[in-house]
Amino acid sequence: MSIPKHHPDPAMLVEFSAGTLGTAQSICVAAHLHFCEHCRNEVLRLDQIGSQLLSQSEPETVDSNLFDSVMSKIDELPEEQEIKFDKEDLRFPLPVAKLFNKAEVVPEWKKMSSSVDVAQLVTGQSDYEVALHKICAGGKTPKHSHSGKEYTVVLEGSFSDESSVYSEGDFILRKEGDEHQPMGAQNGECICLSALEAPIKLSSPFGFLMKPWLRLNPM
Amino acid sequence: MLGTKIANFENKPKPSAKMGVLNSEKRSDQWSLLLVDVGLNRSRKSFAQLFAHFAPLLKSFAQASRHEGWFPGLSEDLVQEVMIKVWQKAAGYNPEKASATTWIYTVARNCRIDMLRRKSNTQHLPLENEDFWHEPDEETPVTLLRQKRSEDKVQASLAQLPPEQDEILRKVYLEGKSHAEASEELGLPLGTVKSRVRLALQKMQILVAPEFRDELL
Ligand SMILES: [Zn+2]
Repeated sequence: MSIPKHHPDPAMLVEFSAGTLGTAQSICVAAHLHFCEHCRNEVLRLDQIGSQLLSQSEPETVDSNLFDSVMSKIDELPEEQEIKFDKEDLRFPLPVAKLFNKAEVVPEWKKMSSSVDVAQLVTGQSDYEVALHKICAGGKTPKHSHSGKEYTVVLEGSFSDESSVYSEGDFILRKEGDEHQPMGAQNGECICLSALEAPIKLSSPFGFLMKPWLRLNPM
Repeated sequence: MLGTKIANFENKPKPSAKMGVLNSEKRSDQWSLLLVDVGLNRSRKSFAQLFAHFAPLLKSFAQASRHEGWFPGLSEDLVQEVMIKVWQKAAGYNPEKASATTWIYTVARNCRIDMLRRKSNTQHLPLENEDFWHEPDEETPVTLLRQKRSEDKVQASLAQLPPEQDEILRKVYLEGKSHAEASEELGLPLGTVKSRVRLALQKMQILVAPEFRDELL
C-alpha cells in the first residue's frame, strides 16, 4: 500500500476527533484513515485532548440507582450480532463497505458517462451527496467547476488532473470555483469515494451530455 | 483520579533511559488494567470500579455539551449508554493503542453523536459513529512508548495553554461546537479560530509533520 500524499487539513481531524464533523465528511476522513497511518496517529493524539478534558472534568454525582440500572441492562443484553465481512467486502474501508456491500439495498452502479460509473450511497444525511465513482482506465471525465465543496478519497487505482496524480488513500478537497478535469490512470480503473456539497456546473459547451453530474440527489 | 495518576508518575524515581523503555512498554495505570480485566474476564468487580471513577466524569462531560437539541436531562442517559458500551466493547480495548481514559472518551464521543442523531434525524441511519473507527488489524501498531510520551506531553501542556487556546479546545471537545460555530460565538474570524487551534496543537506536539501541512491556513 502506498503512502497517501494528500491529507485532510488538521482542523478537519480535530473536528473528527471532537465528534463535530458532519457525517459525509466523517465518512471521507475515515476512508482516508484506513490508508493513512500518519493521520491515524494524529487522530490518536488528538483524542488525548478529549481524554484529558474528560479526566479533568469536575465529577458530578450520579443517581445512586444508576449502577444497578446499568447492570440490569447488561444482564438483558442480547448476544451481539457481528456483521460478517468477507474478503470482497473488505475491498473498501469499513464504513464504505457497510454503506456499499452491506447496505440494506446494495447500491447499483449506473453509467454516468462513457467512462464513469456512479453508485449512490445511502448515508442518512442530506447535506452531501455521497457516492462511489468508477473511472475506467484512461477515462476522461467532463471538465467541471464546483459550486460547493467536494471531498474525494481514492479507494482503488489512481487518477490525475491538471495539478497532480492521486493514488490510493489520497484525500482531495475541491472548493467553490475550482475547475478540474479528472482522468483515470492508463493502467487500470479507479474507484473514488466522493461527497459533494452542491450541484456542480459544467464548463464544457457540450455539458448537456453530462447531465448526471448536475444532479444533486441526497439520499 | 487524575491527580493520583500524575502523582504516580512523579513519585517514581527517574529510571535510566533503557529502564524507561522497558517500563513504558507496559501500560500500568489502574484504569487500563481494570478495563483489560473487564474485557478478558468479564469482571464485574473491575467494572464497578471503572463505573465509580468514570460515571461522574462522564456526567460532567455530558453536561458540558452545548449541542443543538441537547439538554441536561440526557446526561445520565449518556452515562448509562457509555458504560453499557464499555462493558460490551471492552474485549476490543487495546492498551497498546490508548489509555483507558482515551478509549472511554472515544466511546463517550461516539455515543453522544449517536444520541444526537437519533434525536434529530428521522431518516434511516445506516452507520453508527463507531463504524468510523474500525481499522484493519494488520495496521502497524503505534509503539506504546511513543503513545505514552505523547500522552504525557498533552497532559502537561494542556494545562499551560494560553486561555484563548484552552477556551477554543473546550468549546470544540466539550461543548461540541464546530470551528465555524465557535467563530460565530466568539465573534472571531474562522481563520483566527483555526489558527488558535493550530497553535495549541503545535504546543502539545500533536501535529508532528507540519511540513506537509504548510499549504493550509
Ligand atoms: Zn493522512
